Amino acid sequence: MSFLAPLFLLGSLAVALPILFHLIRQTSREHQPFSSLMFLRPSPPRLTRRSRLEDLLLLLLRGAILILLAGAFARPFFDQPIPVVPQVAPSRQTVVLVDTSASMRREGLWGAAVKSVEALLKRAGPQDEVAVFTFDRRTRSLVSFEQWKVAAVEERSALTLQRLAETKPGWAATHLGNALIAGAEALVEADRPAAGPVVRRIVVVSDLQEGSRLEGLEGYSWPKGVAVVVEPLKVKRPTNAGLQWVLDAGDTVPSANATPRVRVSNSADARQERFQLRWQNVTEASATEVYVPPGQSRVGSAPALPAGASDEILVLSGDDDAFDNTVWRVPVKAEDWTVLYLGKDAETDPSRPLYFLKRALQGGLHQTITLTAQPADAPLAAPELAAARMVIIADAPSSGDLGLIEERVNGGGTALWVLHDTGSVESLARLAGANGLTAEEAGGADYAMLGTIDFAHPLFTSFADPRYSDFTRVHFWKHRRLDAARLPGARVPARFDNGDPALIEVPKGKGRLLVLTAGWHPAESQLALSSKFVPLLYSMLEQAGPRNTAPAAYRVGDAVGLPAPSDGQGWAVRKPDGAEARLTVGATQFTEADLPGSYAASSGESRWRFAVNLDAAESRTAPRQLDELERLGVPLKPVPRPARSSLQPVQRRHQAELESRQKLWRWLILAAGSVLLVEIGLAGWVTRQRAMQTQPSA
Amino acid sequence: MAIRNLELRARGVVEGFWHGLHRSPYHGFSAEFTEYRQYVPGDDLRYLDWRLLARTDRHYLKKFEDETNLRCHLLVDQSRSMTYGSLSYTKAEYAATLAATLAYFLQLQGDAVGLLTFDEQVRDYLPARHRTGHLRRLMLQLERPAAGKATDLTAPLRHIVEIVRKRSLMILISDLLVPAEPLERNLTALTACGHEVVLFHLLDPAELAFEFDQAVTFRDLESGRDVFLDPARVRESYRTNLHAHLASLDAVCQRLGIDCHRFDTARPLERALFDFLRGRMQRSKRARASAVRRPSP
Repeated sequence: MSFLAPLFLLGSLAVALPILFHLIRQTSREHQPFSSLMFLRPSPPRLTRRSRLEDLLLLLLRGAILILLAGAFARPFFDQPIPVVPQVAPSRQTVVLVDTSASMRREGLWGAAVKSVEALLKRAGPQDEVAVFTFDRRTRSLVSFEQWKVAAVEERSALTLQRLAETKPGWAATHLGNALIAGAEALVEADRPAAGPVVRRIVVVSDLQEGSRLEGLEGYSWPKGVAVVVEPLKVKRPTNAGLQWVLDAGDTVPSANATPRVRVSNSADARQERFQLRWQNVTEASATEVYVPPGQSRVGSAPALPAGASDEILVLSGDDDAFDNTVWRVPVKAEDWTVLYLGKDAETDPSRPLYFLKRALQGGLHQTITLTAQPADAPLAAPELAAARMVIIADAPSSGDLGLIEERVNGGGTALWVLHDTGSVESLARLAGANGLTAEEAGGADYAMLGTIDFAHPLFTSFADPRYSDFTRVHFWKHRRLDAARLPGARVPARFDNGDPALIEVPKGKGRLLVLTAGWHPAESQLALSSKFVPLLYSMLEQAGPRNTAPAAYRVGDAVGLPAPSDGQGWAVRKPDGAEARLTVGATQFTEADLPGSYAASSGESRWRFAVNLDAAESRTAPRQLDELERLGVPLKPVPRPARSSLQPVQRRHQAELESRQKLWRWLILAAGSVLLVEIGLAGWVTRQRAMQTQPSA
Repeated sequence: MAIRNLELRARGVVEGFWHGLHRSPYHGFSAEFTEYRQYVPGDDLRYLDWRLLARTDRHYLKKFEDETNLRCHLLVDQSRSMTYGSLSYTKAEYAATLAATLAYFLQLQGDAVGLLTFDEQVRDYLPARHRTGHLRRLMLQLERPAAGKATDLTAPLRHIVEIVRKRSLMILISDLLVPAEPLERNLTALTACGHEVVLFHLLDPAELAFEFDQAVTFRDLESGRDVFLDPARVRESYRTNLHAHLASLDAVCQRLGIDCHRFDTARPLERALFDFLRGRMQRSKRARASAVRRPSP
């Protein structure tokens, strides 16, 4: 006989309690104080009659009731073999998301991730379907559901592990939200098994660092029936310090002339507080010590760099993990831009355009601008014209000069014609190659303003933000009405509110001609005095030629925008590891920046260098709180652990079924009730007998 | 014992006693002891007993007044065993009232009274004085609760022998729950110094009869020892032992010439005072008779 709940048998021990209590000698707890015990000797108390057991039969009956009740609660049953009906276990569709971001490069993490996937594959049954994705900034399929199903059952794990072995953590940031969406979509799109229930789940094998991005999940409606199991990987040394450039305005890396500033951040549970900063490959440069308390960050200047260093690699040391301790930058020299102004204005005359132009083109950190003013009737020097980034024509030049300018524009130059009077329209038409172009004075009592602006045009993209797009305060007292349709290929990025073109762009050869139909000086408009003037001029200058100024601060995985090569061929980009990537002709987007470091692009005579750094979020290696995922609607499930023995639950069910069939406990309860009735009868008889015995004596 | 103030209690006993004197056959006695000594040349003739000289033609002097005034020391036991009481009061309270009564009475007669309280050692000592406020201080000391543990008469009796040089009346009030042998040694030392010793042996009625009926754990008040006892079984042996102890105490007192007055605490205090004074009177008579008999031969 076996018992389903054998612990209840302990209740039968209660039989011993009344006997035990009965036999325990009741010693008095009262104390009688007495002056002195010098005349007394101890005398043990005599056992009274109460100490002896009486009514043994009653005691036995009551004990039997307790034992029967305890046995009934223990649910006894006789062991018998029972036929086991095989049940169909639900098949599982699992998407395994393996983190390959830069933070997974920390010591021991990748090995733990592989082991975790291996254990998961071992638990997969033949009816289960598994797809393995890797993710960092992008999500890539390692083994799809189709590949899993096509492979032989015994080869599935080996295939997956082989592909996983060929994969290593990269340098990109962790976009966990996008990876979860990709996994959920893969499960939704996967074919369901033909029969039986199915469990769909996503298993995330990741260090779940705090810097992993979940923005993709916001606004995503998580599909029903898809659960997420997170298997966080434990790292040996959880603390970390990160290093980033502090960017200048415009999201650009600091130029060569500026003092580079860096931000050093330290994790909250770090033990180290002192770190060293030094330039790599520069032996003469000394290290700078930085003090950053745990959980804080400090911004400071990088150590002084000796002149002449080509690659600037700054290294942080002193923390647990070195994967994010290096930042690169490419020193960029300020460019020299020359602007040629053709007009007979005096620089000191505040009523003339040149006066404002001179003050607007002051140069900056990335450029030095030289403005050369020349009367329109003076002959132009060809070298001077060739060196000019842009030619601003305020007065109509001579026909000879006009030919030189046309040649320059056709060769890729940019000319801005400021139409101050209608008399010079013939020269403009000749330069633009337009026939029958006429101009007439517009404006009178009322002023005009810019009514239609194409903010998608490169000249106006810097004003696209609504904070800067208000041009209504720039009034134009006078302008010239031009028929832009007569200019070949002309685009009108800006028009006045009366529909007249304000700025016309005419492509000509490899260059272009810009026509401004109103002057910026106060006699014609408020443009020179407005905040739009300088950005507009710089926008024209930047568009006037290839930029060699500081490129944007790129992170691993960013698409790097390259300028159009001057020779018209495709760029060849040499990566930090020495590999070379070739872009197709005309392509200006480099999308293979998968390593941090310095990149060098070349195309004929054109050279272009840029640096790619690690995403700063990867340095935030503290474990992320999982409730953030639940807040975003991702249903989390605990990590399933393999049962110690799969036999135990089956055996347990088998025993429970046997017990429920036999129901022996009912017989025990019945027996207990019977004994109880006998006990009641016996107790009553004993009581009556005693009463009868006492009455005669009384 | 219902009066809470000790002094009032003592005064009530003594004044009741004075009123009762009118009906008492023993009027005219006093606690003072008169003594004669033979005249030697140089003695002050003012103290010559002229009556005795006229009657017997012998020269005897009365003792000086300060010598004949009584010096009395009350030795009060305040050990833990004295805190036992089966009545509404304890032996210690009874002893304090008895001591206060005696002190008040002697003070009224103009005698000097001192006090020594003790348990296993001397607790307080007040020299014998007859001055204003002395009785008050004595009452205050008697009112202190008994806080000692064991009863040990050796140390207090040795102490009193050392500090009291003049012959005095020593009244020892105790339950004497000590072995008789060491007590005899200490009392012998006291009487050897010329002190007259009177013993008030106080016992609670429950100590004398041991009429407990329930088997319980008895706790010794002095040692704290617990003993489980069935009173029915040990009563006879207890009484036997107690009477043997009392008999040995009586024998000691008889050998040393000590008046021993044994009270159970249920007895009224007036009776105790009466017994004491009667004993004093008989002793005085014996002394006078012996004094008169001595010069006659």
